[in-house]
Amino acid sequence: MPDARPTPETAAQFLISGMLKNCRESSLKKREELDQLLSAGIPKYASEDTSLVVFGSLARQEWTSGSDLDWTYLIDGEANSDHLRIAQEIRRLLESEKGKFKPPGQTETFGNLAFSHDLIHQIGGQNDTNKNTTRRVLLLLESVPIGRRTEAHERVLRGVVNRYLEEDNHPLTADGKRYRVPRFLLNDLVRFWRTMAVDFASKQRDRGGSGWGLRNAKLRMSRKLIFASGLLVCFSANLDPEPQSRISTDNSDIKLPLVKHIRDSLRLTPLDILAKSIEKYEIPQLIGEELFGSYTEFLEIIDDEASRHALEVLRASDSRTDRTFQRVRKVSEAFGHALDYIFFENKLVAPLTRKYGVF
Amino acid sequence: MLEGKNVCAVELSALRQDELIPLVQHLPELDLTSFKYVSFHAPSSMEPSFEPIALELLAEVAARKWPIIVHPDAMHAPSEWNRLEECLCIENMDKRKPIGQTAQDLAYFFELLPKASLCFDIGHARQVDPTMSEAAAILRSFRGRIQQLHVSEVNTQSKHDALSLESILAFQKVSHLIPPICPAILESRVEESQIEEEIQNTLMSLSTENLLALTGD
Repeated sequence: MPDARPTPETAAQFLISGMLKNCRESSLKKREELDQLLSAGIPKYASEDTSLVVFGSLARQEWTSGSDLDWTYLIDGEANSDHLRIAQEIRRLLESEKGKFKPPGQTETFGNLAFSHDLIHQIGGQNDTNKNTTRRVLLLLESVPIGRRTEAHERVLRGVVNRYLEEDNHPLTADGKRYRVPRFLLNDLVRFWRTMAVDFASKQRDRGGSGWGLRNAKLRMSRKLIFASGLLVCFSANLDPEPQSRISTDNSDIKLPLVKHIRDSLRLTPLDILAKSIEKYEIPQLIGEELFGSYTEFLEIIDDEASRHALEVLRASDSRTDRTFQRVRKVSEAFGHALDYIFFENKLVAPLTRKYGVF
Repeated sequence: MLEGKNVCAVELSALRQDELIPLVQHLPELDLTSFKYVSFHAPSSMEPSFEPIALELLAEVAARKWPIIVHPDAMHAPSEWNRLEECLCIENMDKRKPIGQTAQDLAYFFELLPKASLCFDIGHARQVDPTMSEAAAILRSFRGRIQQLHVSEVNTQSKHDALSLESILAFQKVSHLIPPICPAILESRVEESQIEEEIQNTLMSLSTENLLALTGD
């Protein structure tokens, strides 16, 4: 971490100062611009049954100068062949503004249509493709709808959360006083984290090593961040007093307050979830500083054009000598150390990590 | 149409602005003696210039002590509606409306209109959130304010349909949160020959005894 930067007094203050504040403001501005662009080119592009949903740094409020725009046209309503035309029109419009909105990556996970049925019904099993898993989990962990028509996004998100909880046969502890950690949801988040790590290697092979440095940096930082935030949301079901206060005595709605708790928790950005957890679980100030300080520096690196370019062209073979990557490695170690403390040392979180995190 | 069907609650409706004046004018001519409970649905939307006229007319309805069902977004000057006092009954909205779907939205209106009660439209709540988690949140927050229910299946086009098994199962998830004695106004569009069946389906949907599947410990 740089020595000269003034340290905010609390972890949460990192979010409203310096680089993180800039990224937040840029994200909100960019979302406005996107809505204006779409509204001008495709009036009423979203409806009560469709939402234009963005993911990635724009959703996490971590927009930097080189960020790309991951989006999907989410449909939760009657099948209508016009949906494809609208999605194509959105893509055409965004491609015409490449300078402002860098197109999504090559996997085609984003930049097209997504249907609620696949996201809600295909969890696990043969039909849960890598693309479907990615869309679903990122919908939970880092997505926001653009514009005023947000209903479809909201319904699908609740539907996905509800589906995970439906599969947990025993939502409460044996004494009925606390919610248990939602294991099906947690297992899918763990699976997704491992999938991202495995796909990192797969992409390296498929793309002949191109883009290795930036993908590696993201895996160490932003990808790890969303996984950590997802785990903390799962753990909050058991740790936080609020959901316990709403446990019903009636079997038919035991899970409904938990659906709402998880949904409401996921309204926060991953960094907000971390900041809130640091406060709730009494994690030492120094750990908060290390966590947010390192993440701030990561954003500074990828916001710097020369550094981002250096990472984009960096191949694995040069990583031990590349100065930019050495900086990334250093901040990621600090970030990892802070997460290790939260998940393995904190007296509230660590037992849940041991119980649910690995076996 | 309802003769012999053991129906004792009815809602008179002036959903369109133009219907309000004639309906209020003809109220004295209506024979409602067979109903123990009568409520009145105010226009679902109105021009701002019509709002003071509507309030005058609705004050006449309130003099009969009938609950007056109002959509939150139909009120341009919400605090003016305080004049209806306990007769004012705010309804939770479907997905088409800009506001009024969530417990948080409703809290805003109940703060402005503290004497108002709630018309809980269970079909709207399901359309907005099929998991029924928002319905549960509304019921937990405002159970004590519930004046009456609206029951129907609200389809994706926001039209009222007969209850399907999906609706019945969804409603059963929260039916224990609804006060046991509560007038239910059926909004389902069915043929006259299907009214009895729809009433039975409604009763089944509001009973937790008939749950097809129970989950939990």
